[in-house]
This record gives sequence, structure tokens and C-alpha cells, in this order.
Amino acid sequence: MIDLSLVSLVKIKNSNIKSAIKESLGLIDYKFSKDIRNIVIKPNLCYYWDYSTGQTTNPRFIAELIELINESLSKHVNISIVESDASAMICKYAFRMLGYEKLAEKYNVKLVNLSKESCNPVQVTVGEKVFRFMVPKIILEADLKINVPKIKYTMRGIELTCALKNIYGCNPYPKKFKYHGILAETIVALNKIMRFDLCIIDGYIVSGIHPRKLGLVMAGQDPVAIDAAAAEIAGLNPKKIKYLQLAEKEGIGRISYIPRGVPINYFKSRYPRKDFKKKLMGKAYAALLLTD
Amino acid sequence: MKKIGLGIIGLGYVGQIHLRHAQKIANAHVIAVADLSKKALKKARNNGIKNTFISYEEMLKLPELDAVIIALPTHLHLKCVRDAAEAGKHIFLEKPMARNAQEAKEILSIVQKNNIKLMMGYPLRFNQQFQTLKKKIYDGTLGDIEIAIANYISSGPFFHRAEAHAPMPVPEWWFNKELTGGGALIDLGSHIINLLRWYFGEITDIKSHLGYRFNMPFEDKATCLTKFQNDTTAIINVGWFLQGYQLKIELIGTVNHTTVQHKPSNPISTVIQMLATGTSQFYHAHKAELQYFVNCLIKNKKPTPTGEDGLKDLETIEKAYKNQINID
Repeated sequence: MIDLSLVSLVKIKNSNIKSAIKESLGLIDYKFSKDIRNIVIKPNLCYYWDYSTGQTTNPRFIAELIELINESLSKHVNISIVESDASAMICKYAFRMLGYEKLAEKYNVKLVNLSKESCNPVQVTVGEKVFRFMVPKIILEADLKINVPKIKYTMRGIELTCALKNIYGCNPYPKKFKYHGILAETIVALNKIMRFDLCIIDGYIVSGIHPRKLGLVMAGQDPVAIDAAAAEIAGLNPKKIKYLQLAEKEGIGRISYIPRGVPINYFKSRYPRKDFKKKLMGKAYAALLLTD
Repeated sequence: MKKIGLGIIGLGYVGQIHLRHAQKIANAHVIAVADLSKKALKKARNNGIKNTFISYEEMLKLPELDAVIIALPTHLHLKCVRDAAEAGKHIFLEKPMARNAQEAKEILSIVQKNNIKLMMGYPLRFNQQFQTLKKKIYDGTLGDIEIAIANYISSGPFFHRAEAHAPMPVPEWWFNKELTGGGALIDLGSHIINLLRWYFGEITDIKSHLGYRFNMPFEDKATCLTKFQNDTTAIINVGWFLQGYQLKIELIGTVNHTTVQHKPSNPISTVIQMLATGTSQFYHAHKAELQYFVNCLIKNKKPTPTGEDGLKDLETIEKAYKNQINID
């Protein structure tokens, strides 16, 4: 029998994010180990879009996660929030503009620009492609790595951005556009060398064809399973997404999973999906009503 | 008729717009461009510009150059105006004129001393919709304008946040208040203040409330309450927080009210406009202001908006920064 990963889906009630994160971790039987000393949290910061667009992780979501970690471990741990410079984003300004500097000050956590960190060279193979990346030591040495991505549609042939794609931002090399032609392979390569322990999806506001308050928290330890669930919510077939197929083939995780919590259809029906057929039908229906 | 030889200094976002339109106007030809970016210069060469310079000082030595369009970051305006004026070139200067009124006064003094013509780049005065609005104010069809509400909200220098665009890098000087002189108020507010001064005359008082959503040392939102010498009251809202774009003027008079909104046409209309005139309606004003500048040089007329206008706009903005209202 093959072990399938658990993916929890929880609805945020009364804007209580912390309670929803706690519930989502409980549903996948996850507990923070008392031995943890160094934690790395990777939000999704993308350009200077703020959380209200659904494009970037809400600093309030990270704040409530930090509170939960502190309450669960009841001791001081070093928490670093990491991101890197990108082709069109200077990390220090993104941290400031998107509210992460205020967060770091309030919770006494570190903000780390991975593009300025010391790194180790690592070689990795995906299929027949050989990649060489510089991997930040802070990630290699962390006791617990938490990935806090968004669910977004994206271009460049990969269709979906969620847990696996968020690790693309751990590549310290700023001019990331050089990988756009081989994005699926690059995402899988980076996930092979930087395995995160836990994924907690900030689905409070999601970015589909437009932003929408979905009130979702999703958690799991398998980023492929998480992305498969995210794809289903976004109305995509995970088995047809190239980077998910590749990630499964390379042993990062499995597309099939066991859902726990709120049925996925609850979120799927509310996600602002790319559904052209439905849109056309809606317009035709409206036209019929008007002519009635 | 002699054609005016134009040079463009700075090929950033606005410089590229000017280059595109300067190549299409009558009685002028773009002789040279200058920019630090080799990529931008290569693009200009591909678009038919023969003389490209890394150093604008070298470009200013060209004798066939009559005038320059300065589209540099604001902190470089003063030095560049001095260099161009001393080289005897007339100047079309992008707004804001400078980082503050003191620098603007220096610019005016340099221009006067060297006896060259200076025009400020305020394209809204050349937009047909806003020109029609001015006519409505002056022909009395709206009555006396009691209240004006002006909104100019976009994502400002972070305009590539719009989802339809692939993100482009924001030049780093935009993040430094010392180099820009301020935030949304000086950037977008200068357009509106200049336009409303054109409509209603001088501003007698202005108060502002500033917002800082993005935690930067400059404002990304401003609401100004403004009084004009003709007794019109204006509420000016500017901001850099919107992923889209809104430029809207609403006038409420004693007889009637009207609203004008400047927005891109739909894609089909834009294609038709491009085919018919070479310029979309949205950018028509940029072409019109350059054509007017060239015509003024040919006819030896003083172009408006003048440097004095640019200074008055900055003095008003400084007053707004000083007279802040706190609402908690």
C-alpha cells in the first residue's frame, strides 16, 4: 500500500487566522518539535504588490504563525523570514513596502535577503538537465523550514504558482528571468535541493482572475500534494500540469493525497476561476433574461 | 522652413514616450539622444536615431541641436538645465520642475540669464477633453464653479504592478525622497495643481492629509483641500496605491455639473487611432505639447506652461506639505 500525504483545508472563521492555522496543523497531525532552534519562513513576496491583491503573503498571516510557534514551543527560537532579490524586485524595499519590517520589529524576528547571504554551491539533476545553484546556508542549516505561499495563476507555461514555485524565490541569483525558458525543470531542481518541512498556504485572499477573500488555510508536508490540491481549487487538472508531473517523477512528492477538513469543493466553487465556458454561458443566460 | 533640431536627455519611461512622439511632429527632427543605458541607446538607434550618447554633455556640443527635452530623474534637473542653457539650447523640461522651490528658482534664473526658452511638460493642458472643460468653465455653461474634485490615482513609479504587465524594475532613485523631493503629491499632484491653476487662477490656500500605506518615507496618498482666488474650492486626491489608473475631474457649478475622465480607449479604437494619426488618443497630448513647443521656437514665442508655472506649482506643493491636517 502506498502512503499518501495529508492535506488539510480549513476555513478562517471570524478573521481568526491563528486558530485556522492551528486547526490545519492538527488535521495533518503536525506538532512543532521541542528541539527546534532555528526556523526559516519563506513567504511569497512578488514585486511590490501588497497582500490585498492576493499576490503576496499577508504579513498578518505570518505574524499569527509566529505567535502560534512561540506559544507551541514556549521558548525563544530564532525565526528568519527569507526572500531574495528578483529581476524586478529589490528585496529590502519589498520587505519595507509590504509591511514585513514592521512585523520583524514587533516580533523580534530577522528579515533575510537571501541574495546577500553566504551560500554553498550545489549541483542537481532533473531528467537529463544539470543545474548548479548557490544555496543559502541559512536554509541548509535551519531546523525547520516553513513555506507560506499563495495560490495564483501564472503565465510562462506553468499555469499555477503555489508551494513548489515559492521555493524559486529561495534562489539567491537575482536575474531569475534567465530560467523562464526552463521554469518547470528549475522549480523541480530547487525543490530537490531545498526541501521544506511544512507548507501552510495563505489563502485568506487569493488571486485568480481577480483577488477574492477565500478565507482558506491549507497545510501539508508534501509540496506536490499541496500544489495538486491548489490546482484543483483553481479549476485546473493537477495531472496535466507539467511541473507537478516532473516533481512527482523526481520523488519530491505525490499528486494524489488525502484531504482533511472542509471539502475541497467549498473553496473550488468560490475561487475566481478561469472558466471561459461558464462565463460565456452566464452571458448567454443574462441575454436570454433580458430578452424575456 | 528650418527644422528644429531636437535632442532627448534621458530615455526612461517618459523619455521613451517623448522620443516616440518627437519623431512624428512637424518641423522638427530628433538629432540625438543621451542615456546611461546602452540598451536604451541601441533601441533608439534601431528606431532611426543616428547620434547616441552616454554623456549628455557631449551631446550638447552638437551645433545642429536647437533644443533638448529633459526627461531625467528630478534631482538631475538643475544641473542638466544649467548645462543645456549654457550651451544655448532651448529646454522642454519634464515635471516636476525640481525637487523644491529653491531649485526651481535657480532654474528660472539660469534660463533668464542665458536667454533661452523653457517649457514645462504638463500634457494635461494639451489633452482635448481637459481643453474642452476649460472652454466650458469660461463660456459659463456650468455657472460659477463652486467645487472641483480631482482624482489622479495610479501605481505611480510602481506602475508595472498592474497584473496585465510583466513586472519591470523600478529605478532605485524613486525610493529615495532626497532625490525625488516627495511622493505622490509632487509626482501626480503637480499635474493636477497645474491644471486647476490653468482653470481657476492662483491658489490662495492649501491643506493636505498624507497617507503612508507602503511604509516609505514619502507619501503614497494625499488629499488636499484647496482654495483658489476665484473662490472655487477643490479637493485633490492623488495616490500610488491603485493597480489601475484613474484620472478624473468633476466640476460642480451653480448651473450644471460635469465629469471628465481620461482613460485609454478600447483596443479596437486604439488601433484605428494609431492607423489614422500614428498616435493613440491616450497619448495625443504628449505629441501635441511637443508640437506646440517646436512651433513656439519657430515663431520665437514664449511657450506655456512656463518655468514660472513650474515654480508656482512647487511652491503650492511645499505649502501643502507644510500645512498638514491630521485626522485620527
